[in-house]
Amino acid sequence: MRVPLSWLKEYVEITQSPQELAHTLTMAGLEVETLDYIGADWGDLIITAQITHLEKVPGSDHLSYTRINTGSGEIGVICGAPNIKEGDKVPLALPGARIGDLTIGVARKMGYVSEGMLCSPRELGLGSDHSGIYILDPETPLGVKLADLLSDVVLEFAIKAHRGDLSSIIGIAREVAALTHKPLRLPEPRFNEQGQPAAELVKVTVEDRELCPRYSARVISGVKIGPSPDWMARRLLMAGMRPINLIVDITNYVMLEVGQPLHAFDYDLVREHHIIVRRSRDGEEITTLDGVPRRLRNDMLLITDPQGPTAIAGVMGSAISEVNEGTTRILLESANFKPASIRRTAVALGLRTESSSRFEKGLDPELTIFGANRAAQLMAELAGGQVHPGIVDVYPQPVEARSILFSPAEVEWLTGLKVTSRQVHEALSALEFKVEEVSAAADAAGGEQLLRVTIPTFRGDIEEGADLVEEVLRMIGYDQLPATVPEGPLPEPQGDHWFEREYEIREILIGLGLHEILTYAMTSRQRMLNLLAEVNAQTAQVLLQKPADDGQAGWVIASAQERAGSEDDLASDGRKPFDARSLPAVTIANPLSNELECMRLTLLSGLMETLQENSKRNRAGLRLFEIGRRYLPRGAGELPEERRCAGLALCGPAAISWVPELARPADFYDLKGIVETLLERLHIRRYRFSAAQHPTFHPGRCAVLEVGRPGMDNGERFTPVGFLGEVHPLVQQRYDLPHRAYLCELDLETLYAAVPERLNYAPISRHQELTRDLAVVVDQQVPARAVQEAIERHGGELLRTVALFDVYTGTPIPPGKKSLTYTLLYQARDRTLTDAEANALQERIVAALGEEFGAVLRS
Amino acid sequence: MIEQLDALLAQLDALQERALRELEAINSLAELEDWDVRYLGRHRGELKNFSTLIPKLGKAERPVIGQKINAVKEKLESALEARRQELRDRELREALERERLDVTLPGRALPAGHMHPISRTILEVARIFTRMGFQVVQGPEVETDYYNFQALNIPVDHPARDMQDTFWVVPGEILLRTQTSPMQIRVMQATRPPVRVIVPGKVFRHEAIDASHEAMFHQIEGLLVDERCTMADLKGSLARFAREMFGEDRRVRFRGSYFPFTEPSAEVDIDCILCKGSGCRLCKYSGWLEILGSGMVHPRVLREVGYDPRKYRGYAFGMGVERIAMLKYAIGEIRLFSGNDLRFLRQF
Ligand SMILES: [Zn+2]
Repeated sequence: MRVPLSWLKEYVEITQSPQELAHTLTMAGLEVETLDYIGADWGDLIITAQITHLEKVPGSDHLSYTRINTGSGEIGVICGAPNIKEGDKVPLALPGARIGDLTIGVARKMGYVSEGMLCSPRELGLGSDHSGIYILDPETPLGVKLADLLSDVVLEFAIKAHRGDLSSIIGIAREVAALTHKPLRLPEPRFNEQGQPAAELVKVTVEDRELCPRYSARVISGVKIGPSPDWMARRLLMAGMRPINLIVDITNYVMLEVGQPLHAFDYDLVREHHIIVRRSRDGEEITTLDGVPRRLRNDMLLITDPQGPTAIAGVMGSAISEVNEGTTRILLESANFKPASIRRTAVALGLRTESSSRFEKGLDPELTIFGANRAAQLMAELAGGQVHPGIVDVYPQPVEARSILFSPAEVEWLTGLKVTSRQVHEALSALEFKVEEVSAAADAAGGEQLLRVTIPTFRGDIEEGADLVEEVLRMIGYDQLPATVPEGPLPEPQGDHWFEREYEIREILIGLGLHEILTYAMTSRQRMLNLLAEVNAQTAQVLLQKPADDGQAGWVIASAQERAGSEDDLASDGRKPFDARSLPAVTIANPLSNELECMRLTLLSGLMETLQENSKRNRAGLRLFEIGRRYLPRGAGELPEERRCAGLALCGPAAISWVPELARPADFYDLKGIVETLLERLHIRRYRFSAAQHPTFHPGRCAVLEVGRPGMDNGERFTPVGFLGEVHPLVQQRYDLPHRAYLCELDLETLYAAVPERLNYAPISRHQELTRDLAVVVDQQVPARAVQEAIERHGGELLRTVALFDVYTGTPIPPGKKSLTYTLLYQARDRTLTDAEANALQERIVAALGEEFGAVLRS
Repeated sequence: MIEQLDALLAQLDALQERALRELEAINSLAELEDWDVRYLGRHRGELKNFSTLIPKLGKAERPVIGQKINAVKEKLESALEARRQELRDRELREALERERLDVTLPGRALPAGHMHPISRTILEVARIFTRMGFQVVQGPEVETDYYNFQALNIPVDHPARDMQDTFWVVPGEILLRTQTSPMQIRVMQATRPPVRVIVPGKVFRHEAIDASHEAMFHQIEGLLVDERCTMADLKGSLARFAREMFGEDRRVRFRGSYFPFTEPSAEVDIDCILCKGSGCRLCKYSGWLEILGSGMVHPRVLREVGYDPRKYRGYAFGMGVERIAMLKYAIGEIRLFSGNDLRFLRQF
């Protein structure tokens, strides 16, 4: 809302500078967003002047030569504007003045000397009008700096949603008056009423009294439609509205001034002179003043006549009964509509107007008469109108001023600010609240001082004590609030530990050299499907997988069972072309773009895209992670399941380095090592990696990580936590990556379920350790994990640790075989182990490996 | 015999002189061992050869020549030992010299990762408030209209919804939360006062993305409810936060505002961290920077969760993490946070 200071001053005396005033209002909650200084760039060389003589320039069809009285002399100016005549007072830019980027000089043209320039409103920054020279008021003195006469400051406010009463110059003036202890001067509309009473000229029927609490109408006849006077047009321009014609301008002017939206109908175009306020019927249509035909819904409120809609109530009129050049009689509407209805209608139609934005914040029904009278007065004064006696006023349930009992002590109770009853009294009175002291005994409220506060009808936002506390605080000043420390009791520990856990993971991964990224939680189905080497209904299922929590090893497809329709799609022929839309995901009904149409099902696409972005400018490799949520859809109307996850990505060498180990491109075991260290840091000891198939990954370079928990029957049950692997070459190509990439996604909720609740210290054995090395040759296909598990199983309690320290293929190992060398450490907790015992164990292990894997000792 | 004796003594002197001269020229421990064998060798050493002559000498001459041999032997042995030590020292010196490293070559640094500035800022804010007895909780990012709006005194068709353009999942029912405030309701429904929580998390607004607007960003909500807290406590808590976050001499300013779920409401500014209040481009020449919105929990919100507003009071605040991080680290563009450019991330 733009408020010209000169206009504001009509209603309240302002002694503060514009900056001080803006500060005062801002502190009280009326934030002044900008101060717009009109005329600040005019300088001393744009002055008022008068045209004393005008002649056509021979040989030109539009130029005139004028003699101009500058107040201190006479000069000649050539001008091309069509709207000037002898006697007009005009703004004159003298040589040296600057208009925008142009510096005025002395020019010679067609035999004349031009010593200046006459200016249009647009050239002066007074609005957008450039159709002619800005003709000044005839009373304007000559030779005066234009800045002294017309410069102004416009304060721009963002009006909060609850204060419809502030959407007007008078509303702002009321706050200024209260805050600066000055009286508010309201205009008093005065005019003569004559002719036939309005009640005989117009009939108003309000069918929907809930949505239209009040409808007031006046009739004004004999108006002359023309341009508005300069002062009014200038105020409209500065307030951000475009002058149209005198009648429409008056309705807009009064709306800006008092806050009551008005609508002027051409009385003679309202059929049967009968206004009917009703809800729209389904399928009804109206073409609004902006020329757009609009189909209406049955909950929208309309202004109609017996033959059909003439306006969308409180939003916009139509051409049917619009004021036009031939209009002489005005039916003036000044009504009150229910805020929620206006808002719903405006939102549904995508049509937000000055009028609708005021109604939806809530307006005072008592304002309609004042608004109608103020407009009638201006139509009488400026348009030569004759105001017919009376107002047709349909107002079945007049609002009553509410009052609440308020204890001044509530201010300190809620804010800690000590105030006296007198201060409260003054603060509220300044805002036009009526305050009466109520004897304490009468209300039996423990003898405390009580006030009965009557709320002005324009303050619909005030409902209870806390609202009045805020009003008092605004008046006394937020800067008076003391600053203290909360002294109440601390709550019991509550909530989960996910915040700490996520930071624990962050710190570990950062320590392992990974950079944290943070990508959008919104993505698109297509972006996620890019992760799959081959896209079909079956491979797409991995995006919906989550760890089974029923204790079975394996994954379940999130919500596939609940989604009967998509289940069929997913289960049917996996070979037919896959329609991305059939991938279940949390879909955004109003996305910003197709790229952000749903919530992510995986962190991996964000990681791959970030690898892609950064690899363009990064010669060193990339090591990234993200901690965030996957959003797995549940049944219709249910919130999705948000699963906390960590995604890891490696691509290329750890660093540009002269050290070969660091300069080596990352491989599968780098990623796995990071995951293993993470597990170690979390004290998760029971886990296993197994070869796995996943459509994102290289078929021979992908593992699933499972963590173990004690299950029933002393057994152990393993739950999958996530996949890790080398990105399939087809997927790598799709993201244009220069190196092989490695990805891992871990379900943090499953991972943390495996973190031991407490750590138990096991006493360190003081008995001697015996070390034996063991080198065996097995088939290439035998997984190392199986060999290691067999060694552990057969080594039993006395085998303390097993560590693999060499993996070898090539001569002299036969083709298709590999050699694995372990170092085994034997130790008893309670005694010194003999060599013979260790040797026996070692032999038992060798025998078992021979039996299970056909392993032979390496000679 | 005398002549023979003199000749022998002269030969021994010559031997000593020759041996010492040769020793002087020796440059390696191997040559030194040859020399040792040649002159002092137990079997064929030259000095040994003289010893074998002794029995052939007369009784009086034997001790003279024996003493002389011993003297020469001692002389040569000590010279040998000195020379050996000298050579060993030199060889060690040379070996060490050969092992000299270029200590200016870069070390084998383990790669170091970096925390995202948003995570870092959230952590810093959380630490400040946990020191004041707050606990950190989180909530769902996909929310219901009830928690995000209605329970917070923003009914359907309330114009305050304009302040927060919404991404809808099921229009009118399910949405991407536009603020972390819905957790106020969830927390209060789940517990009884006293309540002290902060809620960091992602929020979403349907806004065109530009240098200062993001469709996804982060907020931290704070909520304190008990039987004694006041707006002055809110001011004191936030002043302490501002000082810890932005520097000991920071001042805070409260000014009136409007949020549907607080009453009274206040916007909180700090004096400009760049110009200290004298006015600059960062603070748009006002001397103040807006950092968060706050207020006393609206009685309607308290009633909604079954708290008696005559008994309980509470304060709430909400800050934009990106805004705080931009001020703290002098970052000019909000899009950098979701851009994930490593050149940006490595600086934190
Ligand atoms: Zn500044």
